[in-house]
Amino acid sequence: MVFPAKYPSLNATEMTDEARHALIRVLRVAFPHAGVPDGPYERTADTILTEAQNETWFRVALTQGLLSLNQLADGDFRALADEAALKVLRRVEGTEFFGFVRRTAVLNLYDDAEVWEALGYEGPSFDKGGYLHRGFNDLDWLPDPRIEFPAGETMPEMAPGATGAPRPAAQDHTPDSTNQPGTTSSDMEEVKK
Amino acid sequence: MPSADQHRSPGMSVTQHSIDQNDDAVVIIGSGAGGGTLAYELTAQGIPVVVLEAGPYLTQDDYVNDEWEAFNQMAWLDPRTTSGSWRIARDFPNLPAWVVKAVGGTPTHWSGATPRFKEHEFKVRSVYGRVDDANLLDWPIGLQDLAPYYDRAEKAMGSTHLHGRPPLPANNNYKVFANGAERVGYRFYATGPYATNAEEYDGRPASIQDGFNFQGDKNRSKWSPLVREIPRAEATGLLDLRPESHAVQITHDAQGRADAVLYLDKEGNLHRQAAKVVCLAANSIETARLLLLSATPRFPDGLANSSGQVGRNYMRHLTGTVWGHFDKPVRMYRGETMAGIIGDESLHDPDRGFAGGYYMETISLGPAFMAAFVEPGAWGPDFARLLDAYAKSAGMWIVGEDMPQETNRVTLNTTVKDVNGLPVPNVHYDDHPNDVAMREHAYTAGEKVYQAVGAQSTHRTPPYPATHNLGTARMSERAEDGVVDRWGRAHDVRNLFVSDGSTFTSGAAANPTLTIVALAIRQAEYIAAELKAQRI
Ligand SMILES: Cc1cc2nc3c(=O)[nH]c(=O)nc-3n(C[C@H](O)[C@H](O)[C@H](O)COP(=O)(O)OP(=O)(O)OC[C@H]3O[C@@H](n4cnc5c(N)ncnc54)[C@H](O)[C@@H]3O)c2cc1C
Repeated sequence: MVFPAKYPSLNATEMTDEARHALIRVLRVAFPHAGVPDGPYERTADTILTEAQNETWFRVALTQGLLSLNQLADGDFRALADEAALKVLRRVEGTEFFGFVRRTAVLNLYDDAEVWEALGYEGPSFDKGGYLHRGFNDLDWLPDPRIEFPAGETMPEMAPGATGAPRPAAQDHTPDSTNQPGTTSSDMEEVKK
Repeated sequence: MPSADQHRSPGMSVTQHSIDQNDDAVVIIGSGAGGGTLAYELTAQGIPVVVLEAGPYLTQDDYVNDEWEAFNQMAWLDPRTTSGSWRIARDFPNLPAWVVKAVGGTPTHWSGATPRFKEHEFKVRSVYGRVDDANLLDWPIGLQDLAPYYDRAEKAMGSTHLHGRPPLPANNNYKVFANGAERVGYRFYATGPYATNAEEYDGRPASIQDGFNFQGDKNRSKWSPLVREIPRAEATGLLDLRPESHAVQITHDAQGRADAVLYLDKEGNLHRQAAKVVCLAANSIETARLLLLSATPRFPDGLANSSGQVGRNYMRHLTGTVWGHFDKPVRMYRGETMAGIIGDESLHDPDRGFAGGYYMETISLGPAFMAAFVEPGAWGPDFARLLDAYAKSAGMWIVGEDMPQETNRVTLNTTVKDVNGLPVPNVHYDDHPNDVAMREHAYTAGEKVYQAVGAQSTHRTPPYPATHNLGTARMSERAEDGVVDRWGRAHDVRNLFVSDGSTFTSGAAANPTLTIVALAIRQAEYIAAELKAQRI
């Protein structure tokens, strides 16, 4: 647990380069994309560090979190192989530290042009004339389907016999409300004014 | 005009027309699907209106092809809180809904699906019977009342497949969806109706398939009040449009008639616009909040709330998303964000184990939104695999009727204030057992569609923050059952109208906006006639 301090100077810590590298490693393990180069992970780590710089609470959580990663790793978290590192992260999953890193990463790592490229997304398109002449319909491994409703047929509105079907028996019966007086209240229940 | 923005004074008109704040005006709060439509239909009949819009006046040049940037630019980000057992309260506790705060309202971000309600969906209490814990009620109107207005709304919005409008072409996402539908035996699949131009129509160009509907359509092919109703209302010379003007209270006179709207400009100054008629179209959460904020000794539970139903019966549709992952590329992000619908499950068939029905509609997200929404809270190799499958993914959204429940409601959270010092709305929601059963059925049906065309895996995504927000000031025949009558006129305050999705007595399976627009056109006729006859 971390506590807000009486004097801000007590929390005026700075993150070291080692912290930055540990954070980059955390991101790689938590969001592993073989095709994504280091740049986006580094930028995301820097975003997290900047946000931590501006928020004492996050900074304290981050400091404690990175410290505990090394403790759980019995040494340097950065030295752990992927599997072992993932296990460590699973153990801190519920912490304030990890929640902060995860949220910030999800919102920033995937908002990065280099990641888009790696995932096969082409980004802004209006200035290129959209996809009208650039493959909006280039999928060729399925036949071209019809695009209109079948002529002369009307979409069914009700299943045959829908009105005749008895409604499901009220298993978890709760008393009738005043604006929904139902059959049950008029049957056997005590009527309250 | 937006260009004049720098020169005008805060909280005043940006058009050529301006109405004195002391003149009793027809005041519309909100410029979205309901309010924007009403503003045009009234000015077209020669009735001047003041439109108060909380958001800025942005146009297509301001929009950006970037998910988070666009969201930050236009989404309603004023704080809200949540409670209840729905997953949103855990995943997005401060963001119960995805709605837009800008001139033109949420249709600037919408995707454009425009199915109609079915006849029996106006009579849910009679047709579904009594469903425990659901506050079902028949609408005071039926399909026959709305049919001519559906026609007018479809023409205004340019719905594809109808009134001579051609269908949108099949994009990659649709090809997977439609082939899957065919193979599981569904019949009623098509690329619309969608309110996006497949060819030039109404002075706006055909879609260039850029894939950024949810970010505001830079090409103006998609209907919204921003590209149609607002400029036309302005052209009548009778529209006084005040962007960045946030209504905070509707006041009333000694007779209990609404007499003014208080609003804040962007600098926080309070203004008062006198009113002879007030039309509230702020989208369900804010509409309910505003009525509750307008409580006085005469209306102690909130304005127009003698029934106690203001804020209650909040509906958000069933919703859920199914992704199919294939071994070949799909590239669903190319082309219209949504342009495909399957209607076979939209019928009422209690033998499936629930009342009401649902549609399946194609959907696409970019990697940024995919990461945030595909499995909120998840991380690790399984999560990463969902993103690695991105280019080979196809997506569909399920939208079905959720049960109105009295306890699903918008209230004022008096422990949390917004920047103006006003209590924020709290949105409480619990899924009804009928909702849970329908969602399970829909997920399974969606998976079958993708499996039928060779999906290697599928994934179920839980509901997003609500894009459809309904029911918090519902229509009823009797004053004790609801907030407004068949015209959207408040039972308790006869010169107060509600003109947005809040008036829905039940939600139906269909996406709501066509019905909101049809109701607004119908309401405009009624208000004009009542004004002419001096009954308001
Ligand atoms: C991503 C997305 C996709 C969608 N796709 C579809 C679809 O395919 N089909 C469909 O039918 N629907 C769709 N919708 C839903 C549709 O946009 C809404 O149903 C519709 O816009 C609701 O209309 P409305 O008039 O009730 O509210 P809105 O359009 O939200 O307009 C309300 C306006 O009131 C303003 N306002 C709020 N409070 C105040 C205040 N206090 N003072 C002044 N102004 C205020 C707001 O800023 C806003 O501009 C989608 C929505 C989203 C977000």
